Amino acid sequence: MNRFRPDTADEPAVELNGVSLRYDTADDVLSDIDLRLKPGTFTFLTGASGAGKSSLLKLLYLAHAPTQGEVHLFGLRTSALSRKQLSALRRRIGVVFQDFRLLDHLTAFENVSLPLRVSGQKPGTYREEVVDLLRWVGLGERMHALPQSLSGGEQQRLSIARALINKPDLLIADEPTGNVDPEMGKRIFRLFVELNRRLGTTIIIATHDLSLIREFDAPVMRLQHGLLVRDVEHQSA
Amino acid sequence: MSKPTPLLPESDAREAALFFVVAALCFLAVLATLTARGTYTAAHAWSAQVEGEMTVRLKDTDRRGAEDAASIVRGLDGIRSSSVLSQEELNRLLAPSFGPGGIPAGVPMPILIAVETTQDAPAEAGVVTAALTDAGFNATAESHADYASEVQRALGTLRIAAIGIVVLLTATAIAVIAFATHAALLARRDIVDVLHLAGAEDRFIASLFERRFWTLGLKAGSAGSLVALAVTAMIVFSAQSAGTQSQLLPQLSLDFWDLVILAVTPVGAGLAARWAAGGTVNHSLKSVL
Repeated sequence: MNRFRPDTADEPAVELNGVSLRYDTADDVLSDIDLRLKPGTFTFLTGASGAGKSSLLKLLYLAHAPTQGEVHLFGLRTSALSRKQLSALRRRIGVVFQDFRLLDHLTAFENVSLPLRVSGQKPGTYREEVVDLLRWVGLGERMHALPQSLSGGEQQRLSIARALINKPDLLIADEPTGNVDPEMGKRIFRLFVELNRRLGTTIIIATHDLSLIREFDAPVMRLQHGLLVRDVEHQSA
Repeated sequence: MSKPTPLLPESDAREAALFFVVAALCFLAVLATLTARGTYTAAHAWSAQVEGEMTVRLKDTDRRGAEDAASIVRGLDGIRSSSVLSQEELNRLLAPSFGPGGIPAGVPMPILIAVETTQDAPAEAGVVTAALTDAGFNATAESHADYASEVQRALGTLRIAAIGIVVLLTATAIAVIAFATHAALLARRDIVDVLHLAGAEDRFIASLFERRFWTLGLKAGSAGSLVALAVTAMIVFSAQSAGTQSQLLPQLSLDFWDLVILAVTPVGAGLAARWAAGGTVNHSLKSVL
């Protein structure tokens, strides 16, 4: 069995036991994955295109259910949860999508405040918080802009701000530096590190960018043809 | 602070098309209901009127004899009034056949006695005929209720057909809205996915679509209702201005129940739209984790 256990102490924030995923007719995209991530860990996920990185992330941010096996988040077996409980669990997860998934008809401010709005909070209660976060990601002057008027890097940062607004326990980012220049990529990663250190957020980042992986020296999970393997070369001591 | 932008984008061309379809269906439903109700009301009034009437035909007698016969009829139990029809009344009665010039000279016409029976225990035509025959008259009495029963039967069929049309139109509207909601949901799958993954509950997402389609149904239903009212009014007014005998045509009578139909249709359309939208969204969301 293919096992990867960056840390085994305490109740894991993420635990996958024998997880496989298959879409409709194709072969397994993910095979027999076992994984445990302790709360507060910062982990990279890498692998060639088509290795299954996005599929693994989809399982973690509860977009799909595994074909086989069990996914546990924060000690909760997701297959045993009601739809309402799954919604509540999703609110503890922030996701930075590769394609941003910003809503074009909403302003930057409204896109960032979306997770708060869907959880029933009134605009008056979160305005300051959203403005502060937009300033933190360097979009303080663009809060009334629509996404299509923002550059790729600005959209990326907007997407990150939306993922962070709920102060998630788990942050999942799929190629978060794919659309930004190297300098902005480093800035975004520093932002993740700061979040991880300050708030103890568990962070999983899927990336191809080996230079960033080397620079930030965090544990690396590598996917190969749907199997999870340890990348010893970049694993921190 | 400005009002937050709706999470679903403002209506697009698809919703404009759906608005038209729902408005058209509501228009047809209201028109069918008002027409059926108008026809039924007119026929009911006509039936109630003719059921208490009968006509006596007298042959081989003159006007004086006819007055005597009318007097005999008046004396019978279950009779409220009886009077011999004057030539002017006959001309008016037969105007649809002979025109405004009246009955041409030489056309043999019986003398007619118009009889009104009482509501309680009305006299039967046979009793009237027998009484006049006994008095030496060549007379035949005919109750108008005999004609009314055939009209009532036809109206019963018309009523069932109208109800069937309304039910069919309502079902069609619900099916169209469900289909349109599904299309809207597919077109806005990106928004639904983002909301879903941001932790929005199914109820929250469904309520966005329910509100949108409730408003659409309400507005489209109101438009359909008003156009139906205008068309009905136009038909009746044009029929009246043409001088058509419209006793059995649908009557535009804005009484309480007409207002109820006009008010309930948009609400019904809104509720049907809301129900179809909610059901479709919930069903669709159940298919994802």
